[in-house]
Amino acid sequence: MGWQERIDQAVITPVPGQAWTLGSGRVPSGVEHALSLSLSAGSSWPAEANTNTWRMSHRPDTPTVPRGQTRSQSLREQRVCSDLLEMIRHLQQSLKEHFTQLTTWQMQGLLSLEQRHSGAICKQEDLLDDLMCKMVNLLGSEAVSGLGLRPPLPVLDSQAANRGVRRVSSPQQADQPVPQQRDSEATLVSHDLSSRGIEISVSYHLDFQDYEAYQRDKYHKVKNTLGFINLGTSENKLCTYLLTERLCRSDMNRMENILLQYPDWRGQPFLRKEVACFLTDYCQAPSPLDPENVVILNGCYSIFSALAMVLCDPGEAFLVPTPFFGGFIFSSNLYARVELIPVHLESEVSENTHPFQLTVNKLEQALVEARLKQKKVKGLMLVNPRNCLGDVCSRDSLQEYLEFAKRNRLHVIVDESYMLSVFDGSATFHSVLSLTSLPDPNRTHVIWGTSKDFGISGLRLGALYTHSKGVASAVCSFGCLHGTSGITQYKLYRLLQDREWIDKVYLPTNRSRLQDAYKYITDELKALEVPFLKGGSGLSVWVSLKSYLEPCTFDGELALHRRFLDNKLVLSRGKSFRCEEPGWFRLTFAEKPSELQVGEWCWPPNPGLLTDTALSLHA
Amino acid sequence: MSTVSQKESGAPAASPGPASTRDLSGGCGDDLERQCCGEPDQKLPGTHGVGDPAATFSGDSPFLSCRGRVIKWFWDSAEEGYRTYCMDIYDEDQNPSGIINLGVSENKLCFDLLQSRLTQSDMLRVEPALLQYPDWRGHLFLREEVAKFLSLYCKSRTALRPENVVVLNGCASVFSALATVLCEAGEVFLIPTPYYGAITQHVYLNSHVRLAYVHLDSEVTGPDARPFQLTVEKLEVALQGVISEGVTVKGLILINPQNPLGDIYSPGELQEYLEFAKRHELHVVMDEVYMLSVFDEALEYRSVLSLERLPDPQRTHVMWSTSKDFGMSGLRFGVLYTENQDVATAVASLCRYYGLSGIAQHQMAQLLRDHDWISQVYLPENHARLKAAHTYVSEELRALGIPFLSRGAGLFIWVNLRKYLPQATFKEEELLWRRFLDGKVLLSSGKAFQCKEPGWFRIVFTDKAHRLRLGMQRFRQVLEGRPHFRT
Repeated sequence: MGWQERIDQAVITPVPGQAWTLGSGRVPSGVEHALSLSLSAGSSWPAEANTNTWRMSHRPDTPTVPRGQTRSQSLREQRVCSDLLEMIRHLQQSLKEHFTQLTTWQMQGLLSLEQRHSGAICKQEDLLDDLMCKMVNLLGSEAVSGLGLRPPLPVLDSQAANRGVRRVSSPQQADQPVPQQRDSEATLVSHDLSSRGIEISVSYHLDFQDYEAYQRDKYHKVKNTLGFINLGTSENKLCTYLLTERLCRSDMNRMENILLQYPDWRGQPFLRKEVACFLTDYCQAPSPLDPENVVILNGCYSIFSALAMVLCDPGEAFLVPTPFFGGFIFSSNLYARVELIPVHLESEVSENTHPFQLTVNKLEQALVEARLKQKKVKGLMLVNPRNCLGDVCSRDSLQEYLEFAKRNRLHVIVDESYMLSVFDGSATFHSVLSLTSLPDPNRTHVIWGTSKDFGISGLRLGALYTHSKGVASAVCSFGCLHGTSGITQYKLYRLLQDREWIDKVYLPTNRSRLQDAYKYITDELKALEVPFLKGGSGLSVWVSLKSYLEPCTFDGELALHRRFLDNKLVLSRGKSFRCEEPGWFRLTFAEKPSELQVGEWCWPPNPGLLTDTALSLHA
Repeated sequence: MSTVSQKESGAPAASPGPASTRDLSGGCGDDLERQCCGEPDQKLPGTHGVGDPAATFSGDSPFLSCRGRVIKWFWDSAEEGYRTYCMDIYDEDQNPSGIINLGVSENKLCFDLLQSRLTQSDMLRVEPALLQYPDWRGHLFLREEVAKFLSLYCKSRTALRPENVVVLNGCASVFSALATVLCEAGEVFLIPTPYYGAITQHVYLNSHVRLAYVHLDSEVTGPDARPFQLTVEKLEVALQGVISEGVTVKGLILINPQNPLGDIYSPGELQEYLEFAKRHELHVVMDEVYMLSVFDEALEYRSVLSLERLPDPQRTHVMWSTSKDFGMSGLRFGVLYTENQDVATAVASLCRYYGLSGIAQHQMAQLLRDHDWISQVYLPENHARLKAAHTYVSEELRALGIPFLSRGAGLFIWVNLRKYLPQATFKEEELLWRRFLDGKVLLSSGKAFQCKEPGWFRIVFTDKAHRLRLGMQRFRQVLEGRPHFRT
């Protein structure tokens, strides 16, 4: 039996008579079922259910539901949802790989009949088969029927049909605690979007639902005291007024015709020169950096995505030590289809190590394992200072990692976005650009931006520094798609040029405010007896809430995350950084003191809202 | 009639580039193999996974992936003319023998007006929210202004809605994002040729979407027809041709006012094209970036947003930007207007990659809300200057006996230099283009617009009078075989 037929069967057999109405409508029938099942299930309800669990308890206009029922119900939903989601993602990935491989073989003329049945394909088909069956079983099971999310009958309303859109609504049942807005928010599975369009919408929604909830309902000390406090997004809001004041000064307002005309797509020459100069000084480069090696795009996401495009072919991979910023996954997957293979680090320390320490041994091991799985590893991604952990890499370790990469002919992308946010006097940051001899300069690429160090993520500036002219000019091709405004480039040029203000005003103030905020938050954590990693850089602290998890799994972590959300506090959980141990959270402290305090006040979740649970942060 | 472009010329307006000179309508298999054997720098991308593209692109970039080499090729070859220009820009005092740029479509006529408007005090405010992560669809204050602005200047029947607006960093990004969310890799959009060639790169680079050409002819076929007339019949034939090759067509790209022809579509024509798209369930991507650059009062330009009834509103997506109409391509501000919320949401989900600076967003909102200045100061003055420049170049062309399309919209004139080609080939067209460049005037040749007939060029007339005069003088000298500059 061919794999398509098997997928067909897997989908259809266990739920006879219940056709899934979702479909992209342009893939072969069997695949259509598989894809539409995975993609639209992903788009429609797991995400919905996730948001609804917490949303419903707090929308004042939402009818209340019996609490006990909600809690157990929602826990069950969460479990099923996260299982399913995991499977769907896995399935999606497997399908993608499968297709890529088939296409490649086909194009290379390798796909003769015998090979179709060769080992690799059969193995992939079995994997797909297995996954599909598991999902179908789960969907057909009690668990799902309890969610009120059974495969719906085709509900084609005429208006939607006219628009080429099918409305997938879930039949609402009286005994189910499904919030009223469910109906109006019934997910539209659009025929207008391509499968990747749907995927993009879905993963964006999954990644950003908390953030969007926060955007809709922000805390304000007067206007909205019950709004969300966001300690989940890594933004530095401590010096916003310093920056607005600086950016308003008259030197910022020069208007020249070149700023309005098509730019040099690599970035305006004056800005590239200034960035080279700035990095030379603040990275303590042994010799002046070359403006020709600088490429400016609209943010580090764009730089990373472009690098993944030009360094890898689809299906190839980077090694990335965990925990790492989850946004990289979306970026590498979006266009480039580059896999990020985690190098798992542990919190436990042995002799001479610190928590989550990266060693060459671990890198070697991860590389070997990846290669055993036939992965083509093209590079290593390092973040220094580390985004969530808040530590910096020693010069020796840095050198070792680079040597490792050189030995294995791997590119190294070093994200140094937090290099000026080192606030602990005893920690010294070493930029990769400060090394006197880079082991493999043409394969070493540094990313920096003004977003974190100057707290101006809204200005969209990301810079790449690479010694490889080939890489630089390939990345330049993306300038027309990811360019940044000429006027903004001019302002950032003035900002970076004003060393006196940076050295005498901004950096000292920023450092001392980061120190204060860090001290405040860590004192609070100590008082709560919450373990955390001692950091000295970055905008956040990495805390272990393991003891509050019940059970101590990622489900438990998700449940705790939700409880924070119920209490209007957004945090980032370890899972989204691909941390292997459940219970870690990233808490951004670079927030205005008033909001930080309210965030703290949210901390022991308001017991009134959680009467049904014995869990409390007051262990 | 229809040719799915096997390669991606990506040649932006300014240059035919080495690749663009080749005819690339080859199919698969043998053709590809043959292409792969070509000279390395003439090898065309768009055939990844076939044979060993890496071998053809190896050369100087051993650190790039196969895909990376193809991408680098875009940069290296396609921008050749523009980069030659960048290294030798004309300046009255500093570099009087530098290149005059009549190739890149930019309006440089109203910088004085824009400069004074953009430096007024309302532009200079910087608020904390502008510095922080934005709403990825664009700040609400800006989307509200865009909706109001488009309602007014597109003369929409009903008020346009801010939630249908997505703000990105330029229309190139709107093309790229739409291609991503509407098409799978390898699918195509139909586009009538000649067209603004950079779209090829915009839809291909990130999204791997290709363009299938609806080739139009300069020959006039009927009493109501004009040169390069688009008809539904041609669309049908092209569509069927592409489908018969087993390729999925997802949509149709229309540019109105057209670049490089300067044509505007009548409401009747628009309606026909939209009905055609609806019949075949095609998306229509309407590029209206020149909508306010219609300077002939006799013309009645109609935005698709002004139509009484859109045949398929959920599949009609409009883009506009300030790049052309306000002469600020460097600001990188582009908007998408679509009633389709799924499309809007999906495009907005990509905004991390296509985000626009908060400060620029604030300035655009201030600009677009100033209807008094726009209607009473900017537009009348801009139109008068466009008209004057257009008249000047038209007269020069008439004096030279050069046929051209005389239109009242856009920043350019589409001229026929066929009589200056010894043979009607693209090779000769490229040689002429190079002679212009050697004669220190940059033009765009028809090949860069995928024009089917060799010999057409686009002259951009929106430069300051002294540069325009000098540019036209050099243009004349090259054609008369007595270039001022020798290389």
